[in-house]
Amino acid sequence: MTPWLRRQRYLADFTLAGLARRRGKNTALVVIYALIVFVLASAMLFSSALRREADLVLADAPELIVQRLLMGRHDMIPADRIETLKTIRGVASVRGRLWGYFYDSINGANYTFMVPDDPAYAPGPGEAIIGEAIPRNRGHKWENAPLFVSRTPGDLVKFEIIDTLSDDSALVSADLVLISEADFREFFGIGPDVYTDIAVTIRNPREIATIVAKAEKLMPDARFVTRADISRTYQKLFSWREGLLIAMAAAAILAFVIFAAEKASGLSAEEAREIGILKAIGWDTSDVIAMKLWEGGLVSVGAFLAGTVLAYVHVFLFSAGLFAPILKGWAVIYPEFSLAPHIDGLQLSTLFVLTVLPYTAATLVPIWRVASADPDQVMR
Amino acid sequence: MIKLQSVTKLFNEGRPNEVRALSDVDLEIARNAVTVLKGPSGSGKTTLLSIVGCMARPTSGRVFIEGEMVSGLPEKFLTLERRTTFGFVFQRFNLIRGLSVLENVMLPAAPLGLEYRELRERALARLAQLDLADKAGIAVEYLSGGETQRAAIARALINDARILIADEPTANLDTDLTHRFLAIVEALRDEGRTVIMTSHDPRIWGSENVDTVIDMEDGRIIGVSE
Repeated sequence: MTPWLRRQRYLADFTLAGLARRRGKNTALVVIYALIVFVLASAMLFSSALRREADLVLADAPELIVQRLLMGRHDMIPADRIETLKTIRGVASVRGRLWGYFYDSINGANYTFMVPDDPAYAPGPGEAIIGEAIPRNRGHKWENAPLFVSRTPGDLVKFEIIDTLSDDSALVSADLVLISEADFREFFGIGPDVYTDIAVTIRNPREIATIVAKAEKLMPDARFVTRADISRTYQKLFSWREGLLIAMAAAAILAFVIFAAEKASGLSAEEAREIGILKAIGWDTSDVIAMKLWEGGLVSVGAFLAGTVLAYVHVFLFSAGLFAPILKGWAVIYPEFSLAPHIDGLQLSTLFVLTVLPYTAATLVPIWRVASADPDQVMR
Repeated sequence: MIKLQSVTKLFNEGRPNEVRALSDVDLEIARNAVTVLKGPSGSGKTTLLSIVGCMARPTSGRVFIEGEMVSGLPEKFLTLERRTTFGFVFQRFNLIRGLSVLENVMLPAAPLGLEYRELRERALARLAQLDLADKAGIAVEYLSGGETQRAAIARALINDARILIADEPTANLDTDLTHRFLAIVEALRDEGRTVIMTSHDPRIWGSENVDTVIDMEDGRIIGVSE
């Protein structure tokens, strides 16, 4: 071990002894600090997970969705529109989609019924693939429990569950029920010549606007929703919630600034005297500052780690229970969903820089002021 | 070996509460001797001791140690001087509570980055020399007055200081402990060290172990007796 490392070891030892000496004060400090990090990290982890969910959803989305409007409302679109859209140059593929909402009065939850885009993944007649929240919502495991749904009193439709969807994008798949096209049309009582909407893929994304303009002329009663529109919709959906989180985070940051300023305003008489003694017995200003850096580092990194781990557990294991009314809002009418664990390294680094560095810097100012004065003056 | 030329020290200089702690002090302190600064409270003893020990800078005047002028040195060099030349025993000993006797004694040597075993052995040897080896692991707040004083002396000597500076070292000690302290001082002088201390205790400045007594009043030296 080099003399420099040994010196750091002695400084760290002395720092730990110092922290233990002022156990009560330092514990309170770490708890407050960790709580602030907890609130900030919860907000960051949640918003990061939401963004990732949105990215996952949009990654496979078609460039364009065509919906028919009737009296300003979304209505079923005739199947022959598929052929009309195929005539437009630049269109790669066109397919009709079937999806709809269903309120399950037995379980008090809304489900989204859908026919998979890829026929290879379509369940067989009387079978269903369900989102991860539905078994939880029904209160028992899916393996042994067929899905019974009732459209009207006395009516009961049964689906055998053959699989559940992964929770990679629980935000949109949590309440999903995938069934075959025939079952879908029968369940909702719709004819074979209509779809809920039409998905269009386009070879060159730069031609989307041109293709939309052409399609609008061919289908004046239709609404055209591009992937960019969907992205904006998601942003709007999440942004008000993020706004609330940012407001909470701003309050926490403000509290932290006050806290750091309080710390920066001065040392206790005991701490100042101790620095004076260390200086008098031969410690250099840099030794004192290094020792206090160890102290600040242990407090702030310890609080950062504790706050971040608590936030991770809070957001991903307990579904952000403390902030659920704010964070999930609309989802209370849907089956409960849990976000897939995801950490954004950049955000975490930003949180580290915003919490650990200002605190350490704030604590260094009064220490430098005391440590650079004559020991005699400090001890007096 | 220690020489002060026209040393003046003002506190709160230029303010309404300005205090002149030392006025034009000229002094020479001999090597390998025991020197006592005596005088009433406020006479400037502690301030003079702080300036000699490089813990404070004079407002004006010059301080020489072994012929080298230290009064104008930057803080880094003064620290080095405090670490290598001086050992301090403060009026209230100023051991750090919550740390053991051994940890307190090792503190001045920590910035040197020595091997832990070497540092520990050196500290234990000092404690043994002062009959405190059996108290090494005890937190300093549980020591008696005399033990605390000896722990402070052990700390002052850990870096093999050539000059021991002690501020009112026997202020709160009984006669037995005062005599024991004087015996330690004599032993230090016999090892070749210089001891400079302040005291208004006649048991100290009246002792035959003391070589020089410097009388102070109102920040001035009013007499020196050998």
